[in-house]
Amino acid sequence: MTTGSLLAVDLVLAVLVAAGWLGGGAAAAVRRRPLALALAAVALLATLARAITITALARAGWWFVAEKVLVAAPLSLAAVAAAGPRWRSVAGDIRSVAVPLLFAGYATSGALFVTVLHGYPASVGAGLLTVAGVVTATAVSWRALGVRPPRVLSRVALVVAVGAVVTGTGLTVVPNATPVVPHDHAYRDERTTDEPTRRFTLTAGTATVSVSGRDVAAWAFNAQVPGPELTATVGDVVEVTLRNRDIGRGVTLHWHGYDVPNSQDGVPGVTQAAVRPGQEFVYRFRADQAGTYWYHTHAVSDVGVRMGLYGVLVVHPGPMVGLDATIPVHTLAGRPLPDARVEPVAAGTPVRLRLINTDSTTHRYALAGTAFRVAAIDGSDLRGPTSLVDTAVLIPAGGRYDLVFDAPETPAALFVDGRAVYSTGPVSAATGDWPVLDPLGYGAAAAVPWSRFDRTFTLVLDRGLDLHDLLPRYAHTVNGAADPDIPPQVVRLGDVVRFTIVNRSAIVHPWHLHGHHVLVLSRDRRPAAGSPLWLDSFDVRPGEVWEVAFRADNPGVWANHCHNLAHADAGMTMHLMYS
Amino acid sequence: MRKAFVISSALLLVSFVLQFLFAAVGGFTRPWGDDAYALHSINGMAVIPALSLLTALCAALARAPGRLIGLALLPIGLVVVQALLAMLANAATDAAGVSTPLGPIIGGLHALNGIIAVHVVVAVLRGARKLSDPEPADSTGDVVRSGEPA
Repeated sequence: MTTGSLLAVDLVLAVLVAAGWLGGGAAAAVRRRPLALALAAVALLATLARAITITALARAGWWFVAEKVLVAAPLSLAAVAAAGPRWRSVAGDIRSVAVPLLFAGYATSGALFVTVLHGYPASVGAGLLTVAGVVTATAVSWRALGVRPPRVLSRVALVVAVGAVVTGTGLTVVPNATPVVPHDHAYRDERTTDEPTRRFTLTAGTATVSVSGRDVAAWAFNAQVPGPELTATVGDVVEVTLRNRDIGRGVTLHWHGYDVPNSQDGVPGVTQAAVRPGQEFVYRFRADQAGTYWYHTHAVSDVGVRMGLYGVLVVHPGPMVGLDATIPVHTLAGRPLPDARVEPVAAGTPVRLRLINTDSTTHRYALAGTAFRVAAIDGSDLRGPTSLVDTAVLIPAGGRYDLVFDAPETPAALFVDGRAVYSTGPVSAATGDWPVLDPLGYGAAAAVPWSRFDRTFTLVLDRGLDLHDLLPRYAHTVNGAADPDIPPQVVRLGDVVRFTIVNRSAIVHPWHLHGHHVLVLSRDRRPAAGSPLWLDSFDVRPGEVWEVAFRADNPGVWANHCHNLAHADAGMTMHLMYS
Repeated sequence: MRKAFVISSALLLVSFVLQFLFAAVGGFTRPWGDDAYALHSINGMAVIPALSLLTALCAALARAPGRLIGLALLPIGLVVVQALLAMLANAATDAAGVSTPLGPIIGGLHALNGIIAVHVVVAVLRGARKLSDPEPADSTGDVVRSGEPA
């Protein structure tokens, strides 16, 4: 069973435990003896089952069980201890065990709330607040059921509740000293001064575009979605003038996967100010990485990209040979882009399909009718890619795969989530049950270029309650904090940096670090066995643990975030900065 | 306070009716997107929990019989389970975001739990109204007795 499924099963068991104790308590209060006994038995069995799931999760990593071991386990034991010994005296009035059963229910519900609303890391503050809530709820039940608790017990309960509330609140409310990211600093301009050899102008504005024959309102570069395809050859100096006609919330250009100097990275409030209507900004950088990339606005990026402010950036290593097609997949107003395209091609022509996922969720691509190789992922060539047939690839949000093949005599077609998007002729194929390529085992392995790491950071991805401008929200969190309260990772120029990224949540997080490509070291403790993978966008699925590393060679302040842009908006954004 | 209990449980019932309506809105929105269920999730994650808490509080303050207070507390638990079921159903997808067979099963439980919850709220509203204006034929003693097991 995967760690992700274990997390889900454990959550279901936790609900059963809490519901069993609470239901048993309520049944006992109204003297439904058999029902009370049955529900308590369910709770007890589910508690035992949880011991198994928690042990299994602990083997996957402490991150998955911290609060379960430190908060839920003691509370569950207290629950069993309170409810258990009463069975001997249960021959009498079943109502006498109502309060212990309810206490067990409150304790296990409290622990469940800590898991769902607080998550990782377990904190003393959250634990104490839970204890206070459990004691208070039990005291209220005592009164409501008209049972007179022993005087000593009620005094102890009062002291514990008040003490826990005061300490817990104190620990929770006192803000941690978060090193502040220097937003709105004087942006240091590191633009290359060389004369541009490729010039483009992108004008952002609202527009009406046609998607599968229907007009939809969009935000567009040069009134088209996707924006113009920018191409260059290695060695070019690219200059892009960005103008904003009427996007009220501002625009910028981020070169996704292109490791430009920090001042050209296009993150508003960090590397530049957002370009307001009527303003312009000139980006200039040397095209020294060949490969498939894309650009998009990073100002109000969730809405902006979804509405259409994106386009393709392709840098060719030299003169083009054969057929080179870019396929940027997007969902605009609920409709899939691009429209299906048929392009007949002579047999034997070398074809390169540049697949790009510009959405916030993973897409499944299947190339039918031909054998192919995955030549590059995220712009970096793979080492020794082997020939694949009837195999699908999953591309994470923001990711790119280059598929290459020599055109066969018969037509070939690319299906995205089952929809034919690009073909060289009519092809009918059911690709739904094809196996999926695992890039960690594809191609020829090579040694990791570093033997030691100067800095190691662990990012635990989860959900939790958070105060944002004093409004509570159910944020996507990193190490228990949400933007802007996540401390930045500070590195020095030349450091070899290792990230361990752990997904505790129930949803995929496509991770994206700006300004650097990271080398995948391992996933779920199994070392990457295929070609070295230098990625800028990779899916960390529920329950997965990824280890990636990079050399800190591009100074500045870099966004480091989840590329499901709605998650980034809801807190899952932080920064990597050079000291 | 008994009036407040009636009003708050009536509002809770209205919000539940709206919740079913919003579920249908989400189900029939075309093209389907993440926003389709926005109303359903706002109502379900904010309005219904708040009204559930308020109703339980009103029941306690109105000195309703224990069984009725218990019944008024039940929607809170069912709403929490409801949110968890929705989360698990959404999470039960393969890597490409396509539902596994488990997803629709859990989704079905979400609908079932919703039906149970709305019946509980109807029972709470009935109890609250009975508490608020006991019929002349029934003495108030009947209300007190209703707290005892049948």
